Parts: sequence; C-alpha cells; structure tokens
Amino acid sequence: MPTIKKQALVIGAGTGGYPCAIRLGQLGVDAMLVEKDQPGGVCLNWGCIPSKALISATKLYHKSQHAEHMGLSFGAAKVEMPTMQGWKAGIVKKLTGGVKQLVKGSGTQYVTATAEILEPGRVKLTYPAADGKPDDIVEYQHLVIATGSVPIEIPGFAIDQKKILDSTGALELDYVPEHMVCIGGGIIGLELGQTFQRLGTKLTVLEGLERVLSVCDKDTAQLVARRIKKDGGEIVTRAMAKGWTERDGKIWVSAEVGGETREYPADVVLVAVGRRPVAKGFGLDKLGVELDERGFIKVDARQQTNVAQVYAVGDVCGQPMLAHKASHEGEVVAEVIAGHKTVNDARTVPNVVFTEPEIASAGYGEEEAKQAGYEIEVGKFPFAASGRAMAIDETDGFVKVIIDKRDNRVLGIHVVGPEASDLISEGALAIEMGAFAEDISLTIHPHPTLGEAVMEAAKHALGEAIHIGNRRR
Amino acid sequence: MNLIEFKLPEIGEGVIEGEIVKWIVAPGRSFAINDAIVEVMTDKTTVEIPAPFAGVMQAHLAGEGDVCAVGSVIATLREAGDESAPAPAPKQRVDAPQAAASVGAPRRSDPNILATPAARALAREHDIDLASVPVDERGRITKRDIVDAHARAVAAPAAQPVHSPAPARAPSPAPAARTPAPPTEAAVATSAPIPRRELAARADETIPFRGMRRRIAEGLVRSYSTAVHYTYVEQIDVTRLVALREQAKAAAKQQGVSLSYLPFIVKAVCHALKRYPIINAELDEPNGQIVLHKRYHIGVAAATDQGLMVPVIHDADTLSLLDLAREIKQLGEGAKAGKLAREQLSGSTFSITSLGNIGGVLATPILNYPEVGILGVHAIRKVPVVTPDDQIGIGHIMNLSVSLDHRVVDGFEGASFLQEVRRYLEDPTLLLLAGI
Repeated sequence: MPTIKKQALVIGAGTGGYPCAIRLGQLGVDAMLVEKDQPGGVCLNWGCIPSKALISATKLYHKSQHAEHMGLSFGAAKVEMPTMQGWKAGIVKKLTGGVKQLVKGSGTQYVTATAEILEPGRVKLTYPAADGKPDDIVEYQHLVIATGSVPIEIPGFAIDQKKILDSTGALELDYVPEHMVCIGGGIIGLELGQTFQRLGTKLTVLEGLERVLSVCDKDTAQLVARRIKKDGGEIVTRAMAKGWTERDGKIWVSAEVGGETREYPADVVLVAVGRRPVAKGFGLDKLGVELDERGFIKVDARQQTNVAQVYAVGDVCGQPMLAHKASHEGEVVAEVIAGHKTVNDARTVPNVVFTEPEIASAGYGEEEAKQAGYEIEVGKFPFAASGRAMAIDETDGFVKVIIDKRDNRVLGIHVVGPEASDLISEGALAIEMGAFAEDISLTIHPHPTLGEAVMEAAKHALGEAIHIGNRRR
Repeated sequence: MNLIEFKLPEIGEGVIEGEIVKWIVAPGRSFAINDAIVEVMTDKTTVEIPAPFAGVMQAHLAGEGDVCAVGSVIATLREAGDESAPAPAPKQRVDAPQAAASVGAPRRSDPNILATPAARALAREHDIDLASVPVDERGRITKRDIVDAHARAVAAPAAQPVHSPAPARAPSPAPAARTPAPPTEAAVATSAPIPRRELAARADETIPFRGMRRRIAEGLVRSYSTAVHYTYVEQIDVTRLVALREQAKAAAKQQGVSLSYLPFIVKAVCHALKRYPIINAELDEPNGQIVLHKRYHIGVAAATDQGLMVPVIHDADTLSLLDLAREIKQLGEGAKAGKLAREQLSGSTFSITSLGNIGGVLATPILNYPEVGILGVHAIRKVPVVTPDDQIGIGHIMNLSVSLDHRVVDGFEGASFLQEVRRYLEDPTLLLLAGI
C-alpha cells in the first residue's frame, strides 16, 4: 500500500473538520481532510441548511394564508413539495461544492475515502468502489477526530425513512403528510414538526419529560408550546412511545402516558430523541483515546484528547451539538497544531432554535446564574411593545437581559420572537467583551428595528426603560 | 487498554496540596513499582511519589510548577503487561511541531476577569497572566492594556547593559541589507569599545522560579512586608565559654557527640526568652491579640542544596546540652538529605541563624514569620581586649545580631533580651546554676 506522509490528518468534513482543514492550510501545515460522504457534514446536507430552507419556505406560505387582516388575500395557494425539495437540494449542492473549493484553495488536500486507524501514527484510507483505487496509508503527526454524531434510534421504531423517519428522512419528504407524530419534543423535532404543521399537517408531539425544549429557558419554551397548540397541534408530556401498528391505512403509535396506554394516529412518525457521538468503529480504541460515560471523546482546553497530538472537535467531543461550536473548535485545533498558544477560550456558545417563534440565548439562564452564585437583576422587553414587531405582524416573544446586581455585567441574554437567531449575536458579543448593561443601553440602536428590544431590555434591567414601565430599584 | 488515573496521594497529615516540582518519568517511559515518578513539594518538604505498580507513563496532566490538590488526577498511567496498548514509543516524526504537545499548555482564562477576546488572545501570545494586568475603573481589560503590559515587560530587562559586538572582528558575511557598515578606521582609533571575546556564547541562563525557591521567597515577602524589622547588635566576650567548651568537648566525644557552640547558645536563648516572654510570641492580628508561647521550640536555620530550611528543636528548654547537640546534628543532616518530616519543619517559636566560621561580624536577619525574634550568630574571633586588671589580653569575641518585630517588641525589651543572652554566654557558670 502506498504511504502518504502528512503533518495533520482531519477525519470528517463536517462543520468541525472543514474549517479546521482550511485554517491548517492557511497556517502552512501540510494537511489532509478525509470524508466518506459529502463535504459539509450533517449541517449542510441533512441539518441546519436544508431545514432552514424548508422552514423559511413554509413560513412564507403560512404567512400568506394568514394576511387577510393586513388586506392581503392570495386565494387558493398550492404547495408543490417536489419543487420545494428541488430548490432546497440546489442550495445544499451549491454550499457543499463551495466547501470543497475552499478546502482545496487553502492548500489542504481533500479526499473522499473511509478512514480507519490502524495504530498510533497510521490511518488506512479505503476509496469508494467506483474509484477503483487501492487503499492508501497515511502517516500523520497530528490527528483531528471530527466524526460528528448520528440520530439515536429507539426500540420499536426502526427507521425505514418511509413511515418511520429520522430528521434526514423528514427533510426529504416530497408530500405533505396529513398527520405526523413526533417522538421527542426537543429542538430538531419541533423545528421539523412545525415546518409541516405550517403546511397543514396535524402534529402530535410525544415528549418524555414534563415540558418541551428542556434545554431552553422555561418561559421561552412555553411560547413555542403555546404556538404549536394554537396552530392545532397537540403536545403530550411524560409520554413514552412504545411501538406502532398499522390499520385502516393509518399508523397507530402507542405510548404510555400517566400509567395508561394511548394510541395516536399518524401517516408518518418522526423520531427525534437526540443524537449520539460517532467515536467507535474506525479504530479510535487503538490509540487509547478516553471517552466519557456517554461516549463523547474527552478533550482539554486545546481540544486535545488524553493522547498527545490527537484532538477532537464538534459533536463527537460533547454538548452542545451545534455547528458554530464545532467550527470554533476546529479553528482552535488548527492553530494549536501550528504551534500557536491558542485555547478554546470562548465564554459562551450561543444557542439558536428555529421554532416558531425562534429562540436564541447566550450566557447564563436565570436559574443557572443564581446557581453559580450571582445575585441577578432581570430586564425584559416584550415584542408586543415594539413598533417594528407590530409592523411585521410578529409580536409574540420578548428579550430578556440578565445582569449581575453588583456591577451590572451582562450574564445572559435570551430572545424569543422574530429573528431571535440574528439578534443573539449582539448578546454573544456583549458577553465575550465583558460588557455591562450600560454598554448596551448607551449604544444607539437604529429605529425602527427588532434590535431596539435588546437595548430596551438592558435599560429595563437598569430601571431606565423608555417604552415600558420600570420596577423600582 | 486500561488507562489508570494517577492521583496525588496523601503526603502528610493536614497537607491538602502540593506543587509539582519535577516529573521524573516522562510520557511514554516505563517505570517499575515503587520507582519515583514525580517530585512534589508541600509547604515544608519535597517528596518523591512512588509508582503504585509497574507500567508506562501515558500523559502528565499537571505541569511542573502547578499546585495540585491531594486526590486530584495528575497523570494517566498504563499498567505493564497491557500489550493491547500502543507501542510505548509511537512513531513520532522528529519534525512535528512539538509546541503543541509541550507541558504547561495555555489554559482557559478566568471568566470572572472581564477581558475582551482580543485582549485574551494577545495575553496568551505574550504569556501574560490576565490577573496581573491593571484594569480600568470597572474592572475591564482591553487589548490596549495587554499591549501596555507587554511593553512594560519588554522594557524592564532592556534596561540591563547590552554588549555590542566587537568591531575589531571582521563583519560576518551575512546578507548585506541588515549588516551595519564596518566602522571607519578613524572611528576605531578614537572611540572603539575595548574588544571582548566570546560574548555570543555567554547567553543569560534562566532558572525556573518554583518549588523550594518560590516557597522561600513567598515566606520572606510576607515576613518583610508585614513585620516591622529592626536589628540590634552586641559584642560578646565568650573567652570563658571557649574554655568551657574545650573541656566539655572531650567528654562529649566519649559519648559520641561533637559539641559545637550552638547548644550553649540555644540554652542561653531559652533562659532569656523565659525572662522576656514577649520575644517568644506572635501577633495574632485578626483576633486583636499577642500570643505568648509557653513552649520553647527553637528553629535552627540550615543551608541545603535546595535552599534555606529551618528545622525545629521542639521543647529545646527541656533538653540537655548533649541532647541538643545530637538533635541539631540529626536535623541538619535530615535537612540536607531532604528527609525531614513535616512536624520537624514546623512549629518554631523563635529562630537562630548561624553561619559558623563564615559568620561575619553583623547581619540583619529576616524574621521567620510569624515569630517576632531571630538571632544571628557570628564567628568567634580572637581580638585584643582589656582584661579586668586593665591589661591588654587576648579575648574571644563573638557578635550577636537580633532582629525583632517592632510592632510587638520595643527597643528596650529587645536590647534587654540580648543582654540577658549575653550574660549567660559571658558567664557560663550561670548556665550551670540555671540548670543545664
């Protein structure tokens, strides 16, 4: 087998691996990026990007059907799912092709192959059968594991991508199902469930815990639950899905709810109970890399594993499983490999949820901040008081700014409402910069924008809000 | 493959943390059971931690100079005979950028320090500790603050004299652009510096400031910046003591003891401390009280290869001269070998520092804080003295320098204490009467 020598080898071209590979190239490290599937990983191919395409298209449809009060009626609207899927696929193709070009442009070698670690310092590459190429051996000095995660399957619901879907299958649906049961009330389940709900699907969410979106601030999650119900959906909490049968042309999902078994009708079942890391099956054990009790690779502040010069980035090294966290980690590792004194020193990984309304947060939640020993002050500004929110007819939600009572430093920002995902970057910057509430409140925010709500919430925390009443401080 | 977490074991009673002084076994190296794998220093002693089994060092998780809690994981080990493990020496290419794997890697910054991302990155680049950077009135650190801190750090060593290369030597054939023009002959004649040889080879040497050295420094800084030091010196005529010790030496030798002057001095000090209890004391400022110790634990400073140590003679007032001599010898040897227990290095209520033959004539000893007194003992020298019958004779003179904490001990008491020590040493029969 021919041997290729590389200073750095990156396994996996998702949003952790490919930025790492590009940065390695920029820094002059002789590197190779190996991927067995498409570049861009879950995010570009089966996650963030395709889901956002479908979410925005269905939002436009939904809004057009609810605009009579604005004096707009569009008559009989039609949904052409195959066309929508084609449009979405075009976006994905453009982006993944772009990734390949960026990697090559940086000077890093891009290879489509399956990687297997043989022993410390040696990895075997097996090329796709169609290529007809013999295997290669790569001898590396530094190894970056960026193998990501896959959806968790649950007993009784084998994924066939026809009736029983995971997120990948749901994103490929080329028709609008009449009835969808979503097992799991987490971020992925609700984003996709609401997407089809906007097209007229009757949605039933079966959540095992006592509320949906358990990772989000309670009052932000409540707004999403309320919207799902308002749009005709049903949320069943403390529900354990057990299995399904088919009769009269329908799927019947049985679930245990409060000690009794109930049945819920569906045309498709979306299983979205979480994702698990891919840390096994490619020889990682031969290096002695340590995993934690949940199977994630353990890393230090430089993303290095317990084995020197072996690193891990993205979903495979722990929560939160977010593309932007993976990218940042990938860039950190590239600089570490190049000998820079870089560490992963980010103080917040912002969270974004593309439900309706959107949820986004950076820094501490109220409870977290209290548990961390802070005495806090909370400023809140509802979008119902924002002129811009009224003008776009999306007044659900609020901005919440949590500050340290002692010196007004910003501890956390939470947004639920229109464009929350874009508004949160200001919050993340505030936390990274060590901003005080005054820094936000004294920054002129343009009018009329949704961003004013962030400024007003900061003012509210200081007892100086203009457009809502202040508490006495 | 089984990786075993290696935790910092219990080092002694009441010891909660230790500083990693030196890793003896490097990553990838094997060790046998009970081999020393790491040198750890507590507030008093340095100990070598033995391996609990035979195996291979996988990784150091704490760097040299790190202070680690007892029970915290400081390394990962692999047990011997675990052959599923990768070969001990992975095929590392020599040209690998090793910086990445070096010990003492940069850490995450303290999130309680309000520093901007640019400031944090630049601080890491220049190895600047954020905690040491001056902050603005709201406690923030910006990139500008790091630039300034770095400029200060660079400016400080630049103040040292810089030697320029000797122009007498021919300019090296380096790329012309950066080479200064060779001086003209006239310039050489009038203002050329005196040529120096081999300057290039004499680069500054750096010694890591950690372990014992750092402990000593921390202790001294606390002492010198807290106590109000003053020093009082007296000349003592020890002619009679010299004679007594000459006689006693032979008798002591029969008992296997080499008798120096120090046991006599310790004895005299104990008697004087009993007369002036304010010297055998410490200031307990938080509780607003001065504590007078009723036991007499005398610290005796000893120079070792690692630095100054102060082993303690507990209840020195209850020991005979011979036992004092024995204990001083044991403690001195133990200190040099680094084999003293924690108890033997703590608890002193007053200290004595003696340099023996090179003792000089005067010193300003620094208090062994929180003690309020320390006695410096100088060399005994033969000098002409006026005898009681007004003749000039040969006397044995020794100086004693006592440093005291003026917050607790006023000059009158301090001087009186030293005069009391003097009384016992000038007339050793008093020692006999007081009960040796």
